[in-house]
Amino acid sequence: MNKIKTFKELEEFRNKIINNRKNNTSTIVVCGGTGCKASRSKDVIDALKKEINQQGISESVHLRTTGCHGFCEQGPLVVIEPKNIFYCHVSPDDAEEIISKTIQNNETIERLLYIDPVTGKTIETETEVPFYKSQDRQILSQNRQVDPCSIDDYIAIGGYNALGKALLDISPQSIVQEVIDSGLRGRGGGGFPTGRKWAECREAPGNEKYVICNADEGDPGAYMDRCVLEGNPHLVLEGMIIGAWAIGANQGYIYVRNEYPLAVENVRIAVKQARDLGLLGENIFGTSFSFDIEIARGGGAFVCGESTALMASLEGRVGEPRPKDVHTVIDGLWHKPTTLNNVETWANIPNIIQKGSSFFASKGSKGSKGTKILALTGCIKNTGLVEVEMGTPIKTVVYDIGGGAPKGKNIKAVQTGGPSGGCIPVDKFDLPLDFDALYDAGSMIGSGGVVVMDENTCMVDVAKYFLNFLQDESCGKCVPCRLGVDRMLEIITEISDGRGKLEHISLLEELGETISYTALCGLGKTAANAVTSTLNYFKEEYEAHIKDKKCPAGVCQELISYSIDPENCTGCGVCLRGCPHEAITGEKKKVHSINLELCQKCGICRSECKFEAIIVN
Amino acid sequence: MIQEVTVNINGALIKAAKGTSILDAALDYGICIPHLCRVPYVEDLGACRLCIVEHVVNGRSKITTSCTLLVQEGMVVLTNTDKIRKLRRNLAELLVAEAPNSRAIQDIALRCGVRDVRYPFRNNDCVLCGRCVRVCTGKLAEKPLGFVGRGKNRRVEFPFDLRSELCNDCGRCIELCPMTMPACDGMMKPGEEHLCGNCESKLSDDDLALGYCVGCYFGEGFHCERSPN
Amino acid sequence: MSKTSIDSILEGRRSQPNQLIEVLQDIQEKYGYISEENMFTVSKELGMPVIDVYSVASFYKAFSLKPRGKNVITICTGTACHVRGAKLILNQASGQLGISSGEMTDDGQFTVEHVNCIGACALAPVVTENDTCHHHMTPGKLRKLIKSIQKKDTEEVANE
Repeated sequence: MNKIKTFKELEEFRNKIINNRKNNTSTIVVCGGTGCKASRSKDVIDALKKEINQQGISESVHLRTTGCHGFCEQGPLVVIEPKNIFYCHVSPDDAEEIISKTIQNNETIERLLYIDPVTGKTIETETEVPFYKSQDRQILSQNRQVDPCSIDDYIAIGGYNALGKALLDISPQSIVQEVIDSGLRGRGGGGFPTGRKWAECREAPGNEKYVICNADEGDPGAYMDRCVLEGNPHLVLEGMIIGAWAIGANQGYIYVRNEYPLAVENVRIAVKQARDLGLLGENIFGTSFSFDIEIARGGGAFVCGESTALMASLEGRVGEPRPKDVHTVIDGLWHKPTTLNNVETWANIPNIIQKGSSFFASKGSKGSKGTKILALTGCIKNTGLVEVEMGTPIKTVVYDIGGGAPKGKNIKAVQTGGPSGGCIPVDKFDLPLDFDALYDAGSMIGSGGVVVMDENTCMVDVAKYFLNFLQDESCGKCVPCRLGVDRMLEIITEISDGRGKLEHISLLEELGETISYTALCGLGKTAANAVTSTLNYFKEEYEAHIKDKKCPAGVCQELISYSIDPENCTGCGVCLRGCPHEAITGEKKKVHSINLELCQKCGICRSECKFEAIIVN
Repeated sequence: MIQEVTVNINGALIKAAKGTSILDAALDYGICIPHLCRVPYVEDLGACRLCIVEHVVNGRSKITTSCTLLVQEGMVVLTNTDKIRKLRRNLAELLVAEAPNSRAIQDIALRCGVRDVRYPFRNNDCVLCGRCVRVCTGKLAEKPLGFVGRGKNRRVEFPFDLRSELCNDCGRCIELCPMTMPACDGMMKPGEEHLCGNCESKLSDDDLALGYCVGCYFGEGFHCERSPN
Repeated sequence: MSKTSIDSILEGRRSQPNQLIEVLQDIQEKYGYISEENMFTVSKELGMPVIDVYSVASFYKAFSLKPRGKNVITICTGTACHVRGAKLILNQASGQLGISSGEMTDDGQFTVEHVNCIGACALAPVVTENDTCHHHMTPGKLRKLIKSIQKKDTEEVANE
């Protein structure tokens, strides 16, 4: 394959691809992201392929498998270009109809269209779907347009133009200035001004420098980076090459967590394709700039999302953070100046170079520019990935985009920022989603995870869950995190089990403060946030557990007991069969009963009962 | 020529060689900063967090460990503010609740101002200070001792029973271990752990408040060079 | 497990201690766990003390130091899954198989593990069984899944 050495050659390459596709009358786009994949989108793809071949139209109809589109609740998703007809919940059996009706005859299939829950009407095109309409999909929109394993697709939509511009038209210092002017802040959780980081690294003494892409997305409930890396790896590569040029690095690493094998595979393919075209490796775009990327896998440790722990892991050691009295931009990987940025941060760079820093800065709020991808999950109708302008109020995301809670439940709070973040109660949903507002409210945007919680979520249990998670993931090096988080978990378990005392609340607050000031790394420093924010906004729940020995949400096992409501019980026996502890007895069609001595309160019966006959006391 | 810089610790102007940590500079001068995981002449980890100080930059204080903070010309550091004392006391309280059966740990707790322990006592025989790991060299320069596991499961081990093959029997690990001396009242039974408090009466309030070195026997357990022994 | 069987994994990585995690990943993938013998070989071939290999192998969750069961059931306990009842599913697995997370059944058929988020949050609760990802799981669905695996394995043994 001929390497691309000039801007003109890139354009010619692009025109050739577009030319080769001019016979396409339509393109069928099938989402192959993790969500749709688990809903067997692969079978849909196979069925469509077969149908296209059978009907002999493979010359004019192109089938494109892409990464995640974001509307995971409605998958498998199929979009028909160029009109962008939007079909959801597609099954392999629909393939024949899609080809004969929509492709051959331009007819839309009513039953596959999305129904707007507010108006009850069907919606034909993707852009009209309310879920997408309220978003600003600067990055995510590209996922529909590219097959992640095709560099041709990426170049066809204008990919690597920004790289050409950066290498051939702009000086490295000017690139750094553009990034500073854009106001881009780190998207991985830290929110540090990216331009400033690049400037410091560029000025650090030394000829050997590194850039790293942190794809160790460990926040439970967050999968934005996964979708960008799996669905559009070239976007991230392009950002990294531009960054390396600006900073003066010749070697880069992408550190992908172990639990994302598809992302590892797709980015490996992308790196090879980029190398083949001369966009990575020696003399990129015919210049004297050489840069290459190596892929490294994580070992299953949340703490390796912390920059110094990640670098230790890259060096083949245990992922223990080290004190950052000297920043990693000066003393990083192998003690050399290193710029580490998150996947989404790198993904924003090509747009900033191509469209200019003022375009990026025109979006967002005063201190938080641009857009942010959020993972909206939990007790919400429209779970999925969402990209909005920074500063969008929480209520817009939860209600307009998310559609509110399913089954008419009342939403109580959102948890943002993963284990390092906190909970924001529903009466504060007017707050904008930006770095500073959420930080002032006791939480943070973090990497973008937004978990919605309803009235059946116990906030003490939520705090306990996060403390448990952090205790599991703590590296164990420093006293405040290893012992402090453990003791906080011990205390909160006492509260959750009904043995709490009022002094426990002030002890939790004091211990939380101590850990936040003295811990060695970010994991420890933010470990107490879950407790602090729930104590701040939901103190009544803690007090109910302590004073009344009650769990208002009916979650904490030690404080509840289950019984069967004789009015609703139909004697179907589902609970009896489901109970792993054989605590339920009863005859067919007669009211069943629970033996409280055998009952372990695991809650399985309650989740299986279709008649709501299991009550929580 | 070793370059010297002047730093300001608690108002005292101290000269120290470049590359020295604030902790070493302070101890040399006679200012007591409690510490546990520090071993003289061995690389500092900043793991126990007891040696925290306030590093004042542009009027704002940053809390950091003095063992990893290297001296720089004009640096201003406060080692004994109310905030630092409170944080240090809480950390020491966590340590002594974990391993009360050691004289050194009890002494550190007392020196940091712990009087009551608000957590249920446990009776661990290792506080994971890492001193043994960092001084161990073993035979054939093949380090036999190390940390394994993570978080709550972190422990110090010889892997696969290799002790007999690789251990030098130099005894440095035992010498430096803070757990080797039991509390003054002797070994406590599980469930009967407590702060013995014997030394408390022997100390004046001045000794504890000022942060100056009193050449106390408290330093023995963790090998503070200034302790009389 | 003779030395030659991890030769291919060590190819091109000898005397490079920074390749330790990649090497261990490949050993884990091939054998399902990291044996003591393999740790010694890696220590020798990569050029680092065996305690360092052991430290790394015991630090990262991806590595198992004990053999794992024939069927590995991994339950996601991320926030989204937790809020949608992952605990119930964990209880179901423990109750039905009689083991806690991280353990293997006595007959070596099943290992139950939990993972802190595999990133399929929209489909919570999620359970991975060997390489298949099951979504919107309920305790009932898991009960049926385990039963069907048990049935299939018994049939295989009967056919041998």
